[in-house]
Amino acid sequence: MNFPTIKKFSTQALTILLLSELAAVITGPPGSADAPWSGVQGSITQKTSFFGLFIVGRWIFFYAIGIACYVVALSLRKVNSKTSALKTFRSSYNSITDNKYFKPLALVAVAILAILLPTIISDPFWRQAMVSQIAVFILLALGLNVVVGFAGLLDLGFVAFYAVGAYATAWCTGALPMPPIFGSHINPFFTIPIAIGLAMVSGVILGIPTLRLRGDYLAIVTLGFGEIITLFANNLTGVTGGAQGTKQIPHFSLHLGPLKYIWGLDPAPYYYLVIGFVIFFIFIFFSLEHSRVGRAWTAIREDEVAAESLGINPLKYKVMAFAIGAASAGFAGVMTAAQSNYLTPATFTLYLSINILVLVIFGGMGSIFGVVFGAIVIQTITMYLIHSPPAGYQAQDLYIYIGALLVIMMIFRPAGLFPARRRHRADSDASRLEDSNV
Amino acid sequence: MRWGNPSAFSFQLGFRLPKKGHTLHGFLSYLHAHFHALRLEFWGLLIGGIGSGIIYAMVAIGYTMVYGVLRLINFAHSEIFMTGAFAGYFTLNYLIGDSSPSGITSILLIVVGILAGGLTGSFFAVVLERVAYRPLRIRKAPKIAYLISAIGASYFLLNIAAKEFGRIGRGITQPYENHTVFTIFGATVQMYNIIIFISAGIMLIIVDRLVNKTKLGRSIRSVAQDSETASLMGVDIDKTIAMTFVIGGFLGGAAGFLYAMNVGVLYSMGFTPALKAFTAAVLGGIGNLRGAVIGGLILGVTESFTVVFFSGAYTDVVAFAILVLVLMFRPTGILGELIGRSA
Amino acid sequence: MKIRLNKSVAALATGALLLVGVPVVGLSSVSSAAAKPVYVIGYQGPLTGSAAQYGLNELGGLNLAINNANATGKLPFTLKVKSYDDQGDPTLAPAQAQAEVAIPNLVAVVGAAFSGATHASMPYWYNSHIAAITPSATAVTIATGKNNFFRMVFGDDVQGTTDANFLVKTKGAKTVTVISDGSFYGAGIAGVVSGAAKAAGATVTSDALPQTSSCSGGVASVSEFAAEATKIKTSKPDAVFYGGYACDFANLLPALKSAGYKGTVMSGDGSYDAVLLKTTTPKSAALGAYLSAANCGSTGNLTGTLAKQYKKLTGIEPAAALYDAQAYDAGNILVAALQKISLTGGVSAIRPAIISYLHSGSWSGVTGKIQFQANGNLVGTGKGNIAIYKVTGKKLPTAHSCY
Repeated sequence: MNFPTIKKFSTQALTILLLSELAAVITGPPGSADAPWSGVQGSITQKTSFFGLFIVGRWIFFYAIGIACYVVALSLRKVNSKTSALKTFRSSYNSITDNKYFKPLALVAVAILAILLPTIISDPFWRQAMVSQIAVFILLALGLNVVVGFAGLLDLGFVAFYAVGAYATAWCTGALPMPPIFGSHINPFFTIPIAIGLAMVSGVILGIPTLRLRGDYLAIVTLGFGEIITLFANNLTGVTGGAQGTKQIPHFSLHLGPLKYIWGLDPAPYYYLVIGFVIFFIFIFFSLEHSRVGRAWTAIREDEVAAESLGINPLKYKVMAFAIGAASAGFAGVMTAAQSNYLTPATFTLYLSINILVLVIFGGMGSIFGVVFGAIVIQTITMYLIHSPPAGYQAQDLYIYIGALLVIMMIFRPAGLFPARRRHRADSDASRLEDSNV
Repeated sequence: MRWGNPSAFSFQLGFRLPKKGHTLHGFLSYLHAHFHALRLEFWGLLIGGIGSGIIYAMVAIGYTMVYGVLRLINFAHSEIFMTGAFAGYFTLNYLIGDSSPSGITSILLIVVGILAGGLTGSFFAVVLERVAYRPLRIRKAPKIAYLISAIGASYFLLNIAAKEFGRIGRGITQPYENHTVFTIFGATVQMYNIIIFISAGIMLIIVDRLVNKTKLGRSIRSVAQDSETASLMGVDIDKTIAMTFVIGGFLGGAAGFLYAMNVGVLYSMGFTPALKAFTAAVLGGIGNLRGAVIGGLILGVTESFTVVFFSGAYTDVVAFAILVLVLMFRPTGILGELIGRSA
Repeated sequence: MKIRLNKSVAALATGALLLVGVPVVGLSSVSSAAAKPVYVIGYQGPLTGSAAQYGLNELGGLNLAINNANATGKLPFTLKVKSYDDQGDPTLAPAQAQAEVAIPNLVAVVGAAFSGATHASMPYWYNSHIAAITPSATAVTIATGKNNFFRMVFGDDVQGTTDANFLVKTKGAKTVTVISDGSFYGAGIAGVVSGAAKAAGATVTSDALPQTSSCSGGVASVSEFAAEATKIKTSKPDAVFYGGYACDFANLLPALKSAGYKGTVMSGDGSYDAVLLKTTTPKSAALGAYLSAANCGSTGNLTGTLAKQYKKLTGIEPAAALYDAQAYDAGNILVAALQKISLTGGVSAIRPAIISYLHSGSWSGVTGKIQFQANGNLVGTGKGNIAIYKVTGKKLPTAHSCY
């Protein structure tokens, strides 16, 4: 083992100290504005047992763990690069995941697992969360993936389409103060095409003025659009019910001749419906990705000027991307409306747009498989922490951990967990180009 | 009374839609009444709007400078704003305690508050750059990674502040007694307005001079223009970027203190003002310092006018409408990008 | 100074620190199982997210009540509180409601804090005959047809009507401007006040002014309050009603004062908070403002010993605007219920028994006299139950009249 110089040693020691004390503060007691240092103080000075052996101050405890981790990591690092066992493991892992049949097969396996899930899971929280928190977010992530991943359009206002779909459902079933245009109420099942249609229309509306905007300008305009939709939902009390929300939205029900079925409180029927649509959307997006449209999107994403010179109309394809992404979000809105039977504008915030973006990027922007996986992983972790928090974990610290996780992930694996193969090459080229400020 | 009642439709709109039977006259008289109010109170609204806009301008400069050198939207700048506000809050509460200062003490306290806010802002900005952005630069990460890292850093700081400082808004003990200083064109100018104009004005002028006339400023501009050539010319890129964050952070933190002096502090206070400031930066032309100031002022004034003309709820709508219109006819913002490239 | 922490080090260090540190330095303690039967009272509310303060405060109040009850040692059972975080979101609420009803020894629920979440959870609670006492959900539409719903606060319809009548009839205002802050509570009470004022014969102008970001994470900046005051200055109404919270009312009052507005200014119980007087600058701007509160004859908050115990238990101060007193009273009511009903027959018999008891009993708590109507609302039209205060000094007024 290498023995670093005194200076290097002391800076490393200092860094480990800072990191471990940060961890101590994060897991420590909270403070308040009137006693701002009580939280930090308590975290550092409280006495705790050192693995049951003796009582020490917390800061010593954490520092000791920090040093131990560092030593372990140093020795492992030596081991890592030398052991052939690890090397062969890595190469076999890569050969599996790089195989072109891996992703479709994995998706099929996941689909089969998904269909069997309600029979495996019996915990009522998870049965409900599977639909309202995980499946819905998969839909949202898939939709945003089309806009951000396929077409390369940074959309920070995606929640607008979700809201449009949800409120469209409320409107058509008569849950809003403004009556539906065709007079009578219809059950939510038949609002699905209407809601998706309205969401697509709003996608087109957003897409049109964005023709001349690139990158960060587009981001801010889409963000504004998202905010505006929420604002209208909150303030047009006569139309949307305002801040107090809608009236009761009925559950789905199907009355087609001899076929009568009512979705009720049990989440399983909702789950099957959603999974059916998720598979449907995945199939459509996958086909689009590998069609002319998808190639046009790739061309626009990588070099819009060159694409235009090749005869691709960027406006048409950009608007298409928005509309198609919005369709998925619109359907997610229908599901939410029908299942929670009640909507408030407070659900559709900018935070949610950012959350969906995080899901997409975490999983791998541009990769359907990655995005689905990312949505499942992050939402499951979030729901797990809300449902069965580990001992000593404080629920309100959830986003501290998520924030740290995001930074760490971007440092070590910015392309996402499962990067889209094409994207991966494009991004490294693009970032090299940008760095040279040409 | 709220459901299905057509007159309720107008409740939150803030203006009445012409009903059947009402003529265009009704609508025109509404417009006239509101224009009248606007005209009557024009100067007052302008002054209030500029006060607000100058704060946006200070925060916008942070965004715009970082964008210039890194091509990155520093999403976590809202947290810099917040930390500056809290630093000012703790400092002033500690110093003032129960007394009510006036005169020279007030001025000193305000300067101390601004320094506390600014230095804290700089500190956190530099730490942010070191922890969240520099590793990405070293690894040549794609642009979107910076955005997500910024979002992560923002979540992190926001929630640590929530944990340590509580989730209830608090007010800063005032270092001065707010009163009307003078009246101009029929509009009252408050002590608060004067403090903001003078302190923010001084800081903005200093930064402008710094960026345009000093060697450091030249380094910053050169890195913003072409970092490879700049490094060939002997500019220390890392140090310059760090200094950019220091300057942007100082302004952001000081702006946080000035804002909080009037409204108070809360762990999530940074989110919306910073968002508006970013809009202002884009409006003025991102990468352009003076554009950021102009964008901020326009935004602040628009807010004031919209409240009177429509309703407080629609200020964001109007702001974004203006932004979209400007960007449609001038895609690089009002003063255009200093660097002159399309993303 | 070059610090190089490579992949493995940083990842391992952070991960291990948290993984090891968290459970070992755990804050929770597991109490040993008692020989007495254990019943669980669920609490549902936002414990994470932007509204977490409500959930944390209410949970604190409930925990205080249950801890005190257990500590007397006189109960034939042990009570536990289990909290369920719904982030105030009606899309997450059903999952938590499902989790709650699945707990075998859960007898009742205090929750949800937010109306939307309560609304979304009601079907699941109703299905399992679980009584739901909400400490803070004020939407009028929840209390429809389900006998397991109980509310610890008067709906905003009661308070708003009283306030409107106070302004129009008692204060003689002929023109009223009603400002809403666009939040669930603010829009609700503002809507009620403008409707009731119109019905009482006044001309009402409605306006909306979002919250500022320093108060509740809203979107407005302070200059918008100044602009609103300017608007009011030109239209010169006799009275102004602000539907919103103390933090932002504290921004409106100085703006109105410097605009030279001389009429009556009033706000609802969201503004009845010590924060109002701490944050209004100059303090003189608050003088003469009227505040209403949804209770009469009591302070409506935990004070004295209770406040100290609360602070010790949770580390935060109790706050009237955060409904910890309501949750505290709800906890005590449930304790009383469990003592009065027969506990034989298991949880499936206890649950509906609690519902019947709640419909028939009456109690006196920190928030005043509590009795429920058939639809779960508090008894009384609220007449004589709404206190109206006038700010006359530097502290939150306690002298009031009941209307």
